Amino acid sequence: MAFYDGLFKALGLSDWCDGGASNAPMSMADLLAQNSGTDKEGAFFPFPSLDNLNESCSGIIQSRDVTKGIEDGFLAAKPALKTVLDPITQPLSWLLDGALWTFASVPWFIMIPILVAIAWFASRSVAVTVFVAFSIMLLGLVDHYDVAMQTLSIIFVCTGISVLLGVPIGIAMSKSDRLQKSVVPILDLLQTLPTFVYLIPLIFLFSVTESKLYGIAIILYAIVPVIRLTDLGIRLVDQDVIEAANAFGMNSRQKLVGVELPLALPNIMAGINQTIMMSLAMVVIASLVSAPGLGVNVLRGIRNLELGVGIVAGIGIVLLAVILDRVSKAALSRVDMTRVKH
Amino acid sequence: MTQEPKVRLRGLYKIFGNNDKGVLSHVKNGVGKEELLVEHGHVLGLQDINVDMQAGEITVVMGLSGSGKSTLIRHLNRLIEPTAGEILVDGEDVMQLSVDGLRGLRQTKMSMVFQKFALLPHRTVLQNTAMALAVRGSDEATQTAEAQKWLDRVGLSGFENHYPAQLSGGMQQRVGIARALTANTDIMLMDEAFSALDPLIRTDMQNLLLELQEELHKTIIFITHDLDEALKLADHLVILKDGAVVQQGEPQGILMNPSDPYIEDFVSDINRARVLRVKSVMEPLTGTEFAGDVDIRDNLESMIARSGGDTSLHYRVMDGDTPVGELHMRDLVKALVPRLSSSEA
Repeated sequence: MAFYDGLFKALGLSDWCDGGASNAPMSMADLLAQNSGTDKEGAFFPFPSLDNLNESCSGIIQSRDVTKGIEDGFLAAKPALKTVLDPITQPLSWLLDGALWTFASVPWFIMIPILVAIAWFASRSVAVTVFVAFSIMLLGLVDHYDVAMQTLSIIFVCTGISVLLGVPIGIAMSKSDRLQKSVVPILDLLQTLPTFVYLIPLIFLFSVTESKLYGIAIILYAIVPVIRLTDLGIRLVDQDVIEAANAFGMNSRQKLVGVELPLALPNIMAGINQTIMMSLAMVVIASLVSAPGLGVNVLRGIRNLELGVGIVAGIGIVLLAVILDRVSKAALSRVDMTRVKH
Repeated sequence: MTQEPKVRLRGLYKIFGNNDKGVLSHVKNGVGKEELLVEHGHVLGLQDINVDMQAGEITVVMGLSGSGKSTLIRHLNRLIEPTAGEILVDGEDVMQLSVDGLRGLRQTKMSMVFQKFALLPHRTVLQNTAMALAVRGSDEATQTAEAQKWLDRVGLSGFENHYPAQLSGGMQQRVGIARALTANTDIMLMDEAFSALDPLIRTDMQNLLLELQEELHKTIIFITHDLDEALKLADHLVILKDGAVVQQGEPQGILMNPSDPYIEDFVSDINRARVLRVKSVMEPLTGTEFAGDVDIRDNLESMIARSGGDTSLHYRVMDGDTPVGELHMRDLVKALVPRLSSSEA
């Protein structure tokens, strides 16, 4: 006798209740309880949850039907989604594979000077440049050069695409309050969803052997700050300056290129810095779905309890993070014209 | 004067709020600012403004903060849209202009100087000055030549490649003025242009403006909350209170005959001897014996110094070489006392 039997009788729903029976997969615990033949002793007044109601009335679905429904719905939509998304995202695979191949095939004695030169031209800081050179050498010394380059190439591609997509989205959001209202909840969702949850639908949609799988996961996670800060940066541009631009008859393109973007640049650069950091965080997790790089070694450390391997890879990730952060921060402070020294 | 005014404002109203057109009739029926806010939730910005601004003159709009003066000046180039009324520039209604037409007007007919300078922080002084030309799409050489010319004129030679943040407030506003002059427009709008500067620099800038005006004869609309500044610069003075014009006219006339207690309060604080001129207190020429000749544009302060404080003297007033009237020092002393206190006595 279940607790809610009386309720359904009183409502006169007994006939309807006896109609359906669930065919959703059962958990092991449920199966064991069923086979042992003893009904679990119910609580004195159980919460009217789907499972508890189902015990009195099999016409009501069980909670496991809900999860099954989501899965069925997703699987039903999969072919349509795949035909649309597959061609659109294919270039991402090519880009990632191309970048991985390039970074791997350029010999170290060319690659390291190029990276150090990039660090110099971005930051114009001797300290930062020396630190970058030293860190890469250190990674090479412990034979982590190849994996570090794989990680770096994935970050380059994903950050580049995040900026290419994120900045225009941010500009559009700053121009339209309605668009901002509708996009912000999506950004909130992307930022708060546990990183592993991104991976679940992506594994269903794409094959694990394709590099775009982790590419999409990284971009979805990392694009948020650059969108947010572009939007914020443009909205924060001094209204007096905008008014002056209007008073001198600038059209909206002149205003965007000549006033708003340059003045929002420090904020946009801060967003790019965050995007780089977040792609680095995600590239480690993405090694679960076949992303190459330092993350693979971390994963190996966890799986095989190889403490040293995991820690060396972890320190490598920290070094990469500090390099990327310092270089992009130095570039940021260089473009911030509002703080010119007297 | 029969000349067509450069800028005319006809029955201009501005109400801030969502249903500004809807509550306009209430304002026209005499609902006041506070009542409008309490009962209809709208803020009255301007009501029934009728001002003619003559070509080549400095029209000063003065009022305390919240009187609507900054709102008024932003109507001239439609940075703010009026609720009702006409804005005529050279006889053309600005309200009828298309988006492109309005942009053309802002580029070629009006330039603006701002209280907070509003320079582009990422551009050099030279690039800031050339902004109007760059917007119009002039070639690089013209931009540089014109901008350089006006930077020299406002005394900023040698600072072309500095950034605005490297300059002091006074110098930044000189860039602002050079930027407006480089635009080479007939009309210059100056929104509290000198209010953010300290008093000495403000005086410098006022003199610079008067000097430039002597030579360029632009139509300048100048906003200020400072009566001394207004009296110094104005050819035509408009006094605003709660979004309405309380009095407008020649500044000396307003000083001698304030039409409203609000203006009496205003004028009671200033140094009348320095602002008032012989012209405002002289009588028609009748006498024959004079202690000497004085110029019609001399201020009363210099007259007191000249007479040594003797109130029994009479002077002949000259406009150039022709005698135009006579000045009794007794009248001069009376004029130094504001009308408000004389009626109380």
